[in-house]
Amino acid sequence: MKRAILASAIVATSAMVLSTVPAHADSTGVTATSIKLGVSTPLTGSAGLVYGKVPGAMRAYFDYINANGGVNGRKISLVIRDDKYLPTLAATQTTNLILKDKVFALVGALGTATHSKAYTAAALAKNNVPDLFINTGFSGFTNKAKYPTTFMVLPTYNMEAKVMAKVIKDNFPGQATFMIAQDDEFGSDGVAGFTTAGHKFTASPTLYPQGTMTAARAEGALATLGAVPGKPVLVLFGTTDVTAIILKAAEKLELTKKFTFLAGSVGADANTLLALGVKSTTVDGVISASFMPDAKDLTDPYVKQFIDINTKYNKGITFDNYVLAGMNSAMLTVQALRAAGKNLTRAGLMSAIEAKGSTFASAGLVPLGYSATSRVGYNGYWVSQLNAKGEGKPYGGKLVIYTTDSGAGTVEVSNFVRPTMPKNGIPTNS
Amino acid sequence: MTQFITAVLTSLTSGAIYALMAIAIVLVWRSTRVINFAQAGQAVLTTYIGYTVIQRTGSFWIALVVAVVSGAVIGAVIDRFFMRPIFKRVKSGPIVMIAPVVATLGLLGIIQAVIGFVWGITNQSIEAPVSTGGYKIMGTVIAFSNYNLLVLVFVAIAMLLLTLLFQKTNIGLALRASAYSPEIAKLSGIKVDSVRTLGWAIAGASGGLAGMLYIPGYFLYPNAMDLLLVLGFIAAVIGGLESLFGAVAGAMILGFAIIFSTTYISPKLFFPTAFIVLILVLLVKPAGLFAPKKSRGA
Amino acid sequence: MKKAGKVHKPITTRKRLFLFVLFGWLLLILGDRVGDLELYQGSFVATYALGITSVILLTGYSGQLSLGQSALMAVGAYAGALSIFNAGWHPVIGLIMSALVAGVFGLVLGLVAARLSGPYLAGTTLALAISLPTLANQFPILGAEEGIVFDVGLPPARFGDDFSQYKWFFWISALAALIMVFFIVNLLSSRFGRTFKAVRDNPVAAQLAGINVGRLKVNAFAISSGVAGLSGGLLVMLISGVSPSAFPLSLSFSLLGAAVVTGLYSLKGVILGGLVLVAIPEIADSLVSRIGGSEGFTTVLPGFIVSALLILAVVFTPNGPGHLLKKHH
Repeated sequence: MKRAILASAIVATSAMVLSTVPAHADSTGVTATSIKLGVSTPLTGSAGLVYGKVPGAMRAYFDYINANGGVNGRKISLVIRDDKYLPTLAATQTTNLILKDKVFALVGALGTATHSKAYTAAALAKNNVPDLFINTGFSGFTNKAKYPTTFMVLPTYNMEAKVMAKVIKDNFPGQATFMIAQDDEFGSDGVAGFTTAGHKFTASPTLYPQGTMTAARAEGALATLGAVPGKPVLVLFGTTDVTAIILKAAEKLELTKKFTFLAGSVGADANTLLALGVKSTTVDGVISASFMPDAKDLTDPYVKQFIDINTKYNKGITFDNYVLAGMNSAMLTVQALRAAGKNLTRAGLMSAIEAKGSTFASAGLVPLGYSATSRVGYNGYWVSQLNAKGEGKPYGGKLVIYTTDSGAGTVEVSNFVRPTMPKNGIPTNS
Repeated sequence: MTQFITAVLTSLTSGAIYALMAIAIVLVWRSTRVINFAQAGQAVLTTYIGYTVIQRTGSFWIALVVAVVSGAVIGAVIDRFFMRPIFKRVKSGPIVMIAPVVATLGLLGIIQAVIGFVWGITNQSIEAPVSTGGYKIMGTVIAFSNYNLLVLVFVAIAMLLLTLLFQKTNIGLALRASAYSPEIAKLSGIKVDSVRTLGWAIAGASGGLAGMLYIPGYFLYPNAMDLLLVLGFIAAVIGGLESLFGAVAGAMILGFAIIFSTTYISPKLFFPTAFIVLILVLLVKPAGLFAPKKSRGA
Repeated sequence: MKKAGKVHKPITTRKRLFLFVLFGWLLLILGDRVGDLELYQGSFVATYALGITSVILLTGYSGQLSLGQSALMAVGAYAGALSIFNAGWHPVIGLIMSALVAGVFGLVLGLVAARLSGPYLAGTTLALAISLPTLANQFPILGAEEGIVFDVGLPPARFGDDFSQYKWFFWISALAALIMVFFIVNLLSSRFGRTFKAVRDNPVAAQLAGINVGRLKVNAFAISSGVAGLSGGLLVMLISGVSPSAFPLSLSFSLLGAAVVTGLYSLKGVILGGLVLVAIPEIADSLVSRIGGSEGFTTVLPGFIVSALLILAVVFTPNGPGHLLKKHH
C-alpha cells in the first residue's frame, strides 16, 4: 500500500508540468507581435451543422487584416474550441481558453445557456477577460453587475419579440397565435418580450428543452394546432435545426399553408433551412427579422467586400448569412482593438468599446448602442420575408428599421443610416 | 382518434426498428454469451458504407443490399479475428464476464473513431427512397408515410426469413443447438466455432438493415446508432435474451410504451418510460418475459 | 528474488492514516507550486479517481457489472446542488448530501439489482444511465439543460488574494477524495472487506461459509453509489453547475474503461486511472498540434486512444496490471 501511494505521488508530480510565472494578467495573450483571441462555439452536432461556419469566417477576416498590417503591428490569431452547444462542454472549453490557451479576450461566444454557464465556470469576471460580441441575444447579458466584461452585438430576443408582436398586431389582427420556444433563457427572453409588448397568445407557449424537439414531437404539436380555425400565426423561437424539423413536420402533415410562420432570426436562415431538407415552397413566405443586409444582396458594399475576403481567405466555404455575421463581428473586433491603442490591455479594450463602440463601422442596418452605461449592441430589426431562392427580402416590399429596448419602451421607426464602409473593408479608426 | 391511430402506427414502426437491433443482440448473446456493444459501431459503419454507395450510384436499394452484406461480413470478421482470440486469453476469474463486454466497448470506440477519421464528423443525411408524406385518413393527414410502411414491411420480411432459417433449416438447427449446448453440438459433428461466426454474421446483417432503415429520418454521424443500440438492448432484455420471438415482443412492448407515454403523458418521458418498463418486467421476471423456466447457467 | 507466496504484512489503521495525511500534505505543497491550469486538471483527476473507485468497488469487488455510474453521479450532483442552491446549506453539507443521497438511492437500486445477473443488470443500469439525467427536463426545479448552480463559494479571505479559485477547487476535491478513499480502503481491509474477496473468488463456498451474498451485493451497491455521488458533486463543482449534459452515457464507459486499464481488482491504481482520463485528451491535443490534422481527426483521436488502451488492457492484462507485474517474481 505504501509503495502504491508513493508511486502514485511520484506519477502525479511528474505528470503535472510546473508552470512558468504568468505574464501580467491584464495583457495576457498579447505580445509585441501578436494578439490571441478565443471562442467556444458548436462545431459539431446539430447546432454545429448550422452555426459551425461562424468562427471560421471570423478567422478568415482576421487573416485578411493580418495580411494588411494587422492591428498596430500585431497579428491576430483565433483559438476555436468546440462545445457542441452543451453548457457543460462550454464551461470546460472556456476554462481551457483562459487557463490553457491564455487568450487575451473572447469573441463571439455562442449560445445562451452555454455562455451563461461558461461565464461563471471560467470566472471571466474575476479574471477581467473581455467577452466581446457574443452570439446570443439573451437580454440578461446586458446586466453589467452579473456580466461585467460582456459586450453584446445581437439585438436582444426581448427586442425581437417586441418587433414581432408589432408585426402580428399590424398584419394579422384577427388570427389565433401560438409559440414554440426553446426551454431556457433564450426562449423565455422571447416569451417575455411578447408579454412586455402586450401580446397574449391563444395558448401558453410550448417550451421544449434543447435537443428534444424530435420529428415525432413536432408532428404531434402541429397536428393539434392544425385543428384551429382560420390561419393561425405560429411563432418559432428556436435554433435553425429545430425550425427545420418543425417545417418538415408541417410538410408531412400537409399543413404548410395552414399557418403563417414567424421564425426568430436565430432559427430562420433560409439557405440553411433549404440545406436541411425543407422544401423551397415551404420556406417561401416565412416571416422573420434581421438587422443585417441579406447575404445574397450583392448591391451592398459590405456584402461584396466580405464575399471577396471569403473567396480569398475562407476557401471552400460558401458565403451565407453566418459567414456574413462572423466577418461583421470580426470587423467590430478589429476596430475595438485599434481603438484601444498600442498599449493593449484588457481594461483598455473594454473602455475603448464603451467610449467609441457606437461609432464603429459595420454591416448592420441598425444602430449600435455601446456607451459607458450600456452593453447593448444592435438595438433593432427590420422585418424580412424568406423566399424560395433562399433570400430574405423586406416584408411588404419596403425596408423599415425598427428600434426599441429590452424594457417597456415602444417600438419606433428609425431613420438610421449606417457609417460608410472603410476602404477595402480595412478599418483605419483609432 | 387520429392521434390514437398515429400513435399505434408510430409504435409499430419504432418497435420494428428496435426489433432489428434486439435480434442482433440476442443472436450474439445466444451464440457467444456476450453483449456486443460494438453493434452500434457496426451498424453505423455499414450505414456509412451505404451512404457512400448512394453517393456513387444514387440508388438507395443497392446501398441497402451492400449495407446488409457488409454487415454480415464485418460481423463474421469481428467474431473470428477479435472475439475468439480474446476468449482464448481470458479463461478464468471474475473477469471472464466483464472482459468481453469491455472489449466490445473498446471496439465500438475504435470503429467510431475510424469512421470520424475517414468520413468526417459533421452530420450527413440519407434521403428516404419513397415519399415521407403522411397518409390522409378521415380527412386529416396523419404522421405515417409510405416510408414508415416500407420499414414495417422490411422488418416483417426479415423476421419471417430468420424464423424460417432457424426453424426449418439444418443450419438453423445447428445455430440453435450450438447456442443451447455447445458440447453436445460438437459431439454431433457441428462445427461450433463456424456456426458461432455465422450467428455474428446474421447479427451484423440485421444491424446493417436497421441502420439503413433508421437513418433516413435522422442524421448520420458516428454516434448515430448509439441510442438505437441501447433501446435494442433494453428490448432484448425485456424479451428475455433467449429467443428471437422474445426480442421482437420486447421491442414491440418497448415501442408501444414509449410512444404512448410520450404522446399522451409528456414528451419528456421518452427515456424514463424505457427504464420503468424494464424495471417492471425484471421485478416480476428477473430473466425477462420469455426466458425459458430453466435458463442455462447464470 | 522473492519467494512465491510472500506474506503481506498487515498495515494498521494508524499507519494508513499517517500515510494518507502525508500524501495529502504532499498534494497541498504541490498545489502551491503549480499553475491554475494544473490545479484545474488535478481537481478533475481527483474527481475521476473517486468515480473509478466506485466502479472498482461495485464491479471489481462485488462482481456486479454496472453501466450506470454516471446516473449515480448525477443523483449526487443534483442532491448537492439542490442542497446548496435551493436549501441554502453550507457547501460541505452539500457534498455530504451528494454522497448520502446517492448512497440511499444506490441502496434501493441495489435491492433491485441483487436479483439480476450479468446482462440483465448491465441492461438495467444502462437504461438508468440514459434516462435519469433526462428527468432534469421533466421537473422544473431541476432546471433542464440550464441546470442548477453549484457554488462552493470563494476561498476564505484569510488565505489571501493570491489563493485562486482553482486552488480552492483542488483543495476541496483532493481532500474529499482522500477522505473517501481512506474510508473505503479501511472498509476493505476489515472483516467486511474480506467477505468481498471471499464472495468474488468463490461465491458458492462463501455462501456455504455463512456469508449473505445478497446482502453483501446490496451493501456494495450502496457504498459504491455514495462514492459515485460524491464524485458527481465534485465534478459539477468544477463546472459551477449541474445539468444533464454533464453525465452522458460515455462517462460510465470512460470510468469503466479506466478501471479496467488500471486494475479492476485493486484500489491502488485509481489515481493513475484518473490521470489517464485527464491526460488522454491533453495528449491527443498536443499530438494533433504537432502532426496537424483535420478537425475530424482532433475530435476522434482521444476516443481512439482510450478505446485502443482498453482493448490492449483486456487482451494483455485482464486481471489488472498488478498481476502482470507479479508474474515476473
